[in-house]
Amino acid sequence: MDVWQTLIYLLEGLPLTFSISIIAFISGIAIGLPLAFIRVYEKDVSFVVDAYEKVFRGVPELVLMLLFCFGLGYYFAVPFANPFFTAAFVLGLRSGANQSQIFRGAIRGIGDEQLIAAQSGGFSKWQAIWHVMVPQVLTYSTPGLGSEYALLIKDSAYAWVIGVLEIMKRAELLSVQTSNLVIPFSITLLIYVAITFPIAQWLDRWGNKKRKKMGL
Amino acid sequence: MFDQFGFIGQFYPQILQGFTLTLEITAFGVTFGLLLGTLLAVGDIYGNKVARSIIGVYVELFRGSPLFVQLFLAVYGIPAIIHIPINHYLLAFLIFGLNSAAYQKGYMKGAIEAVYGDQMDAGLSTGMSKTQTLLHVILPQAYRIVIPSWTNEFCSLTKSSSALAWVGIFDLTAAGVEITGIYYVVLPVWIVIGVIYLIWISAMAKVFDYLYEKWKIPGIELNMQ
Amino acid sequence: MTDTVMEARDVCKKYEKLEAVKNVSMQIRKGDIKLIFGPSGSGKSTFLRCMAMLTIPDSGEIYLGDQCLTKPATDLNKARARIGFVFQHIYLFRHLTALGNVELSLKHVLKLPKEEARNRALAALKEVNVSDCVNKYPSQMSGGQQQRVGIARAIARNPDIILLDEPTSALDPELTGEVIDTLRDLAKEGTTMLIVSHEMPFAREVAEEMIFYDQGTIVETGTPAHFFNHPNSERAQKFMTRIIKRTMRE
Repeated sequence: MDVWQTLIYLLEGLPLTFSISIIAFISGIAIGLPLAFIRVYEKDVSFVVDAYEKVFRGVPELVLMLLFCFGLGYYFAVPFANPFFTAAFVLGLRSGANQSQIFRGAIRGIGDEQLIAAQSGGFSKWQAIWHVMVPQVLTYSTPGLGSEYALLIKDSAYAWVIGVLEIMKRAELLSVQTSNLVIPFSITLLIYVAITFPIAQWLDRWGNKKRKKMGL
Repeated sequence: MFDQFGFIGQFYPQILQGFTLTLEITAFGVTFGLLLGTLLAVGDIYGNKVARSIIGVYVELFRGSPLFVQLFLAVYGIPAIIHIPINHYLLAFLIFGLNSAAYQKGYMKGAIEAVYGDQMDAGLSTGMSKTQTLLHVILPQAYRIVIPSWTNEFCSLTKSSSALAWVGIFDLTAAGVEITGIYYVVLPVWIVIGVIYLIWISAMAKVFDYLYEKWKIPGIELNMQ
Repeated sequence: MTDTVMEARDVCKKYEKLEAVKNVSMQIRKGDIKLIFGPSGSGKSTFLRCMAMLTIPDSGEIYLGDQCLTKPATDLNKARARIGFVFQHIYLFRHLTALGNVELSLKHVLKLPKEEARNRALAALKEVNVSDCVNKYPSQMSGGQQQRVGIARAIARNPDIILLDEPTSALDPELTGEVIDTLRDLAKEGTTMLIVSHEMPFAREVAEEMIFYDQGTIVETGTPAHFFNHPNSERAQKFMTRIIKRTMRE
């Protein structure tokens, strides 16, 4: 197999890589946003958020994938035996934990005045949060979200262990077939760098713009 | 199912062995990463264009790709290329260190830049050289600022270390793979392994928090102006 | 050579949009106490930093005694060891106590042994009246105390000259007094000082020569009495009127 064919075969894993990371990212927002607000504004229940974050900070994604896919998947074949689902599921939960922290930082950075101003205008607390805070929090969090997304793309590689035919699994197959590991894996490395590089560049530029605005 | 948990108890030796390896490689990785990361950060600030480009490429390669891929390339690829068999553990430790350094360079650079401007001026004004100021004024402050990021890096590295099992290294996850592979007890094994990771990482996070408090100097925080 | 401690000859420094220093020349002799004043943004601080070579001039020469600092091969660190600099925003070493701040350059620049460095540092801190803050960190001191430690840090090496860049401008008004008292004491002891400041009462009492600096150049020089009674140039007149009015209000 020549280099060209290798490259194409590997790139055919991109749709899966992107699907997993995008689904996980969106799930992460759907989970992280409410958790962040609960953590900041509903003090009695905040320990739940803390526990959730602790679990996903403390257990490797790979172990979770194995646990769900091969462990729980035995009892609940639908949906956990499906490796794609499990991969996106685990990463989605993990991302929710990370994003909860990111949004929390943004909420603190924006401060209470926004909420108080909205409430004094007649909004209920949660209305104010939805209409006033959420848009600002999302904007403020862009750099953190950017690096979280890059992280998801890299972590999608774990999925090969449970059998998803994404980029790294393809590289592994090729290396077994052709008895040559260096070429497929080197190309794989470069593919990942190529995907995450624009995100890193964009984050850098965003950071510089913000720094200039703050006069640093 | 609960008797299955009891069944796992007999695998205590393997689990301990794997856990020890995980411990060792993460400790090495984070420490090596901190030292090399500091050098890279200083090199990035003071170096010429060539040095900075090299550092830039290095960081981009290690931060832009999964550790999993890097491990495979290092452990299986390097011996293949140079046609000399090299101990897998050696290569794995090395890659962990290099990977961590790429991330820690960013944290150190951020911390150094947070204190640099005025503190460098102050140091120079007393007659100290740039190097002296860097060593005695800037780095001592930067290291205190960087501890929270260090905690993060430790957790991240420990989680990524689960990939070691697939490059022939007997870490905690490898212990799990071995047990589940032979004995068909799957869910309880992964729950136990997961809980071990959880307790370990949570405990270390508390240790780092304690160190941060202990070494903190009033007036030096992450969000300084 | 005469007892010229520092001299600037035709120094120029230009930033993108601003000519901060336009062919400025100045001579400071031993025991002189000169005060540079003028509107904000006129480049006074830049000029002062050029004197200490903290900002490198675009052209011109800076002399410390017989040594030309602007010559490429000069050991600037050795030169700066003979100059004491006090910053507007203080810039104490945050990770060290007041004692540590003053000791640091004694240990690493003068290479004094530990005991001697410590004693000299304590003496300098005593001279500026902050002995009670010796073991405190900068964030635990008031602005006035911090700045006095900054002065101690500058004088501990017994420099040939002390350059002060608006030493009281960043302080709360109630705290400026203690710093001014310290400077007055230093002046009485014959310390050579070049100060950028707009503390007019202090200027009137302590300065021997006042230098009006505007838009990058020295517009006028004279004694304090000269400026307070009859400045020559219109710009100086306008400035003095404004500032005297403000001082009287306070």
